[in-house]
Parts: sequence; structure tokens; C-alpha cells
Amino acid sequence: MNFLAPLFLLGAVAIGGPILFHLIRRTTRERTPFSSLLFLQPTPPRLTKKSRLEHLLLLLLRALALLLLTLGFARPFFRQPEAPAPAAGPGTRTVLLLDTSASMRRSGLWDDARSRLARHLREAAPADQIALFTFDREIVSKLSFTQWQSVPVGERAALALATLDGLSPGWSSTRVGPALIRAAEELTEDEGTGQRRRILLIGDLQEGARLDPLQSYEWPKGIEVVPEAVRPRNPGNAGLQLVAEAPDSDRGTGAVVRVRVANSPDARKEQFQVGWANADGTGFATAPTDVYVPPGQGRMVAIATPTNAVGLTRILLRGDDEPFDNTVFVYPPEPAPLDLLYLGSESPADSHQPLFFLRRALPDTRRQTVHLTVRKPGETLATETLAASRMIVVTDRLPDNLADAVRGRMEAGQTVLFAPTGDTAGATLQRLLGHPELTLGEVRPPTYAMLGELDFRHPMLAPFADPRFSDFTKIHFWRYRKLGEPLPATAQVVARFDSGAPAWIDFPVGRGHLLFLASGWGPDDSQFALSSKFVPWLYSLLDLAGAAAPPSANPLVGDPLPLPAGRTTDFAVRLPDGTVTNLPPATIRFAGTLQPGIYFLGAGPTATSVAVNLDPAESRTAPLGPEELERLGVRLDPALSTAAAEPKPQAVPPAQEAEGRQKLWRWLLAGTLAVLLIESLVAGRTARQTSLPVEATS
Amino acid sequence: MNAGPNAALASGSLISAPALMAIRSLELRARAVVEGFWSGIHRSPHHGFSVEFTEYRQYTPGDDPRHLDWRVFGRTDRHYIKRFEDETNLRCHLVVDRSRSMDFGSTGHSKADYANTLAATLAYFLHLQGDAIGLLTFDEVVREYLPARHRAGHLRHLMHTLEAPAAGHATDLAGPLERTAEIVRKRGLIVLVSDFLAPATAIERPLTRLAAAGHELAVFQVLDPAERDFGFRDPSVFEDSEDGRTLYVDPAAARPGYLDRLAAHNASLRSLCERLGIGWHPLGTDRPLELALFDFVQNRSRRGRRTGRPGTQGGIAS
Repeated sequence: MNFLAPLFLLGAVAIGGPILFHLIRRTTRERTPFSSLLFLQPTPPRLTKKSRLEHLLLLLLRALALLLLTLGFARPFFRQPEAPAPAAGPGTRTVLLLDTSASMRRSGLWDDARSRLARHLREAAPADQIALFTFDREIVSKLSFTQWQSVPVGERAALALATLDGLSPGWSSTRVGPALIRAAEELTEDEGTGQRRRILLIGDLQEGARLDPLQSYEWPKGIEVVPEAVRPRNPGNAGLQLVAEAPDSDRGTGAVVRVRVANSPDARKEQFQVGWANADGTGFATAPTDVYVPPGQGRMVAIATPTNAVGLTRILLRGDDEPFDNTVFVYPPEPAPLDLLYLGSESPADSHQPLFFLRRALPDTRRQTVHLTVRKPGETLATETLAASRMIVVTDRLPDNLADAVRGRMEAGQTVLFAPTGDTAGATLQRLLGHPELTLGEVRPPTYAMLGELDFRHPMLAPFADPRFSDFTKIHFWRYRKLGEPLPATAQVVARFDSGAPAWIDFPVGRGHLLFLASGWGPDDSQFALSSKFVPWLYSLLDLAGAAAPPSANPLVGDPLPLPAGRTTDFAVRLPDGTVTNLPPATIRFAGTLQPGIYFLGAGPTATSVAVNLDPAESRTAPLGPEELERLGVRLDPALSTAAAEPKPQAVPPAQEAEGRQKLWRWLLAGTLAVLLIESLVAGRTARQTSLPVEATS
Repeated sequence: MNAGPNAALASGSLISAPALMAIRSLELRARAVVEGFWSGIHRSPHHGFSVEFTEYRQYTPGDDPRHLDWRVFGRTDRHYIKRFEDETNLRCHLVVDRSRSMDFGSTGHSKADYANTLAATLAYFLHLQGDAIGLLTFDEVVREYLPARHRAGHLRHLMHTLEAPAAGHATDLAGPLERTAEIVRKRGLIVLVSDFLAPATAIERPLTRLAAAGHELAVFQVLDPAERDFGFRDPSVFEDSEDGRTLYVDPAAARPGYLDRLAAHNASLRSLCERLGIGWHPLGTDRPLELALFDFVQNRSRRGRRTGRPGTQGGIAS
């Protein structure tokens, strides 16, 4: 028999109490009336052998009650026979998943997680197979089963630990769901080996760990997950998040930056300060705002941007013990410049011409600033202007040399929107497409023509694919140009009129496109410019032309940053830590956002800056119960799911557990009560028997 | 005559104290004792015992003519005066302790019951002899006083007084005895019934004064067997019935000392009584009253033979 609290056994010396009291003649409270105390003198209590003999049974009962009580408090338990040694069986196939997300930066977590991992590695039996993965937003395989088995048994743990050298928690979010699925798939590959399969999940398992992918994943049978949660020294955490504004909202609202201060439910602090940080992020540059956030709640705080806010790029939260999520980076998004070249002879003030509507359909937004350059076909045009234009709109016949230059840009990757206002532009089309056989003839339907067949898979019409927006029948076309057949094989008809004639055609030319519009948007040709479809359609054209994809409103660590397309040279990205990465022209995204901060994209006047922040979910650090995993169908190892169990030899079940199962103290307590009951009965009987034979009469 | 009570005691014909105390009426108790006493001593209690000798004397002028014995005058034609019995009989005052300490008892009846019965028995016995009986009850002061008389109804009145519940608390033997000496002017027999649980020195002076006043004194010390033997077994808090004082006493340890002190106290009382010529009668409440009465009568008889009657008036003839 073992004891959980053996110090309580010292209470057994209390048995000496009843023995002593039995030796001392009872100092009774019983009163005996007597005629006179004249001849009496007080006598002290004394030890008598007689009393010890008389009340031996009572003494034994009282001592037994005390002994049982003492044993009960000492929480006895019988040690269970040790589990069979793991080496005896076929071994266990274990995937160790180590969390390296930003929330693991909290005090003590990483060291704790590493020591647990090391313990598991060292305790692995020779027959065990172990693979090691780290995960945050991405899953990284550090050690495969094959690598584990390829080294001698004694060197395996060292090999696995060596893969973690220099590793520390990153800044990414926690995605437990994909990591578990990946680990489960790793284990299901070698099904049928008869080995026990399990996933050991070592991390802080916080509320912000994304488990959603597990909802649609059927957990494979026979794979158990052992969540081993590490807990920080400071349980609470407050985090700062940037509240993003819509990218299309008006400019000028940047005078106020809204941040949200979220406090975890287990937090002990409630009083915080928020304000602009100075350049090195160590203190406040302006007077901070006091914020009171009770545990488990969040508060929105509007931080005014100072008028001379040069160099202020981060907002700081002070008052929280865990600093990893106490800074947000703010950089007002600069509207991307977008150059358009319009080659046409019409007057910008003529409300019947396409140019009039084009100028008004592309206002400046937070996202981009459109520069429209209008050149008449005969005017001189700088090569730089042509090269810098993202899209070239051609509505008139161009001189041959200009047409050739435009074709050259197209082949380099630019987009040309060819919307002739008359059939005279046919020669230009032939030149642009390199198809001398193409003819262009004007058609005037008796009443009007409509778009009858639309290909919503084309990027130009993709935004209208939803049935709510796909009705183009309200747009009437008074006249259009008809291309003579046959069309080039590469041409893709995006839309046809109800007569069957192609309305919009996408001609790939080189790396670029030529989008042919059989009918323009001017009121002379159609009602298109006046329809609600026109502006969205124009923007989809701009997107097609390679304008920068709308940046994420608030890119998070790990989010790829879109890069401008159509680049011909390397693109420099300066990271928050000052290092510069040069990306080849073919790269369209920068995926190296591994730390929060300001990223400078490009160089020169077109350079833009993006603030990348920590995932707000990382700030939700309240512990996630293993039952959440069970709820999503993940099978937990019932024996080892004690999340925060202290490291103990695995073969011996924890004493608390054994004692908790056996609960011997209950029986001892019941025994004590029973003995006390018997003692009361015996004492009552003894008292009656030994009452005074002399009774006073009144 | 001595063989009578002892033989009765040996034969078990005496009424035991508990049986006697079961009789509610004090008068009946007294009668039972006295008749039993006589039946143990004599075959006929109405023969052989003479009341106080009645004498005749020649009439002299000035005597009350009511006291002339006309029968003698009719026979002898002489005037003789018959002396009245009450003038010639014993005056006995019973002085009974009614204090709270007398309420103690371990044999089913208290010392007070026993003392009252003893007083009633003596009163009845003396009344039958035609003696005048008076009564004084006391605790810390004299509570009741009935002058010595021999009238019809007086005995019953006396019994009622004895039966009245006691109201006293403490015992002060000296004060009431002094007071008795003041009240009882005529010499006579004074029977003192108490437990005498007070220092002997305190009562020496009043007893001396009573004895010096010419009274014949008889002292009955009534003690319960528990007081006499201290037969308690278990330790307990002993509470003084008079002043409420408490004392934790382990009887096994305290008994020898108690008995020694009690014996010394009794010895001092006895020597005091012997010195003053006072009859000393220690009584246990478990002792049959007939024996107490017998002791009393025998003692008086001895005293009568040895020292003569202390007074000039009648005594008890044995």
C-alpha cells in the first residue's frame, strides 16, 4: 500500500490522546450533592490501572477511529501492476507534432514543449517509429519514419533533436486542423503493420488554433491523438488587432486608426495603454490611450493619427505580460498607379463618344489611381508612355508604325482593348492581329441587337457569373462591326449577339491579349456605357490587363503579397528586418511574409509598402480543451489524454490517478464513522453501568 | 430490660428505617415506633410504667380550692390538694435542625426525615408519659417555636410543625442554641437533633450555657451512611448542599482523609458532651428508631441512677 499524503500518517500519534485520557481518571462533569464539604479536600485526577482495564474496549475503538481517520487522510492506494513494457509489443508508430506558432513565444512554453518532446524521444522503445513535424500555418517535416529507422537505436533521439536546433517559434498562426490531417495521412500510409498509431500533439493548444478542416475530415480508425498541452507561466494574454477598412472606402479616413484590444478569459490584467509607438517600438511616441478591458472581452479603440505622423508605423499595447502580440503595424495603403493609354481621335467633351465615359468610369480609389493618357492616332507617342501603359484602348485606325508598336507591347504582355467606332479601323485590326484576311463590316440591325450568348468563364465576364448579375439583355446595341470569317483558331468568343455574330472576342497575341469589341460603349453604338454593368466590366478588364490584384485589406503573417504583373526585371522586396529579396519577373506573389512589419515592395517611385500583422487568432490564448478535438471526431488516447500531466515514468501510472480510481479514503471514512457509532453505543452503556450507586434525594 | 431491644433486633422484629419512612404520617410513624418499642420491652406497655408520681398534700389556706381532691375528702373528710400532672411532669424541648444539609440522604430517605421521625417518636413517647413537649426548629436561626405543653392537640400541632417543609439554607448551630437558652427558661430536658456538621468548638459555648442553666441535654447526631462511610465510588464534583460550593473529589483517594476528619470531629463532640454531662447519641439513618429510643431511655435511666435528676421536677422512670 502506498500513500499519496504520507505526512498525514503523523496524525496517528493522536492515538496517544485516548490512551492518556483513559489513564487519567475521568474528570467528570457529574455533580454529586453532598451535605457538607467540611471534611472533604480536592483530589487531583490520577492514573489508575483500574480504569484502563475497565474501558479497554472503548480505548481500542477510539484508537481505531483515529487510526482509520489518519489513514484516510493519508490517501492510501495500491500501486497497479506496471503496464507491459512497450518494447515487448510491435512498437508504436508516433507522429510528433510540435507547435511553432507565434503564441508559443509566450514565457516558458517553447522550453517546456521542447523538453517534453525530448522526453518522448528518449523514452521511445527500439521498436517504436517516430516522425517529427513542426507546424504553424505550414507543416514542416523534420524527421520521417524512414530517417528515424535508418540510424541506430541509440542515436535516434539525438538525430530528432538535432533537427530542432536553432528552431524557435515563428510568427505564423496555429493551424492544428491541417497539421493533424497531415499527420494522420502520414500514419495511414503504412496501414496494416499492426503497430499502435498515435499522434502526439505538443503545443499550447489555444483557442485560436484552427480546427475547422477537421470538420470535413473523416478521422481514420486506429489513430489516437495525445494532446500534450504546455501552459505558460502567465496564463492571461491581451492582444492588439488592426481593424481593417474596406479597400474601396474613401480616402482621407486615415486620420483615425481603429484597433481592437482583446483580453483572454483567463487574464489577470484589465488595464492597458494603447498608442503610437516610436520608431524602435520601445515606447510611446504620442500620449497613449488608457483602455479597460475585462477578461474575456474586447474593446475597440480609435487612435488618432498625428498630423506629422512621419515614421509612425506601429501601434503598441502596454500592460500585457506577453509581448508577442502587442504591436500592430499600420501603413496606409498607397493607391496603385494605373496608366491607361487611349488612342482615338474623338473629343473628350463629346458625350456621344467612348472617351467621355471612360474618363468618368475610372475615379481614383484607395486601391488605385488611374492615369488616362489620350493620344490622337497621328500624334507622336513616347515609347515609355506606351510601355508604361497597363492597357491600351484603340478606337480608331492607327498609323501602321503605331499599330506595330502596339502589337509589340501586346506581345510583351500588355492588353489592348480594340473598340472601333467605325469600320475604317479594320486595317489596324489586321495589323494588330497579324491577320491580313480579317475584314470588318458594319451591321445595323433593324431594331437593336442584344447580347445573346456570354461566356462567364472568361475573366472579363467572371464577375457577372452570379445569376443575379448575369442579365445583359437590358443593353441594346444599335450597330456593331462584324468580323469576316474565319476567325483565327486561337480567338475566343466571349459574347455573341442574338444574331450569332461575335460581340466580344479575346485574341491572344504573344503574351498579351487583344480584346475586340464589335460594338463600342458610346451612345452612338449602344446603351452599354449607361448600364450598371459598364464600370464593373471595366475593372474586370483592368484586372485582366494585369493591374495589381487587390491587396488583402490587412495581410497577415504568411499571406502572400501580390506583385505587379508584367515586370521585366527583378523585383526587390525589403523585409521588416532590412534584408532585401530580389524576385524574378515571373514571380507573381511574394510568400516570404514570415514576420510582422512593413514590407517595401519594389523600388523607385512605384514602390509600395504593406503592413503585415500577426494573425489575431493567435491572441486567443485561452486553453482549448481536448474535448474540442473529440467533438470534431478526433479519437483521443483515453489513457494519456491528461493534458498537463507532470512528466513521470510512463510505466508507472500517476499516483493521483491510481488513488483517484481506487478512492480507498471513502471506505476508511465510512469505517471511521462506523467505529465512532459503536464507540458511542459502548460508551453510553458503560456510562449507565458505572453511574453513581448513591443518589441524592431532595 | 436490655435484652429486649437487642433480642428484637436480632430477631428482625424491629421496623427498619426505610420501612418506617414509607409511612407518610409522621404521627403514625412515631406511634409505630413507640408501640413497637413497648412491645419489645414489655408484654403490656400500659402496666409497670408509672407516669410522674402524683402527690397529695394537706390543703393550706391560699391553695386553689379547685385542686381539692373531693374523693379523698369524701373518704377521709380531710382536705387534700392533688398536684396536677403538668406541674409535676417533665418539660422536654425538642430542638431539631431543619437546615439544607439535613436534606441529604442516600438510603431512600433524608436525614431530615429521620430526624423528624425521631423527634416525633420522642414527642409521642413523652406525651404518652404525660410530659410536656416543646419544639424548636432552626437552621441558621430559630424558625419555629412551640412551648412545652401537654394538652390535647398539642402533639398534633407539633407533628404538623415538624412536617412543614424546611426553608433554611445554612446551619448555624451556635446561634440557635444560644437562642434556645434564652427561650427555654424553665429547666427541663432539651433534646438536640442535628447532624452537627459544624466545628465542635462553635457549639461548645452554647451547650455549656444550656447545661449550666440546669437543663438536661441529650444530643442526637443524625448521619447518613454515605456521610459516615463515604461509600462513593466514582470521582465527581461534590456540591455543598448549603452554600453550593463545589469540589472535585475522587472518593477512592479522599475516603481515608474524610473518615479520619469525621472521626476526629465526632470524637471532639463526644468528649465535649461527656465533659458537660450530655447524653451523646450518634445515629445512622439506616438504624431502626426503636434502638435510638431504647438508647435514649437506657441512657436516661443510667443518668438518673448515677447523677440523679438534674432538675427538681419529674423525670422518666424506666
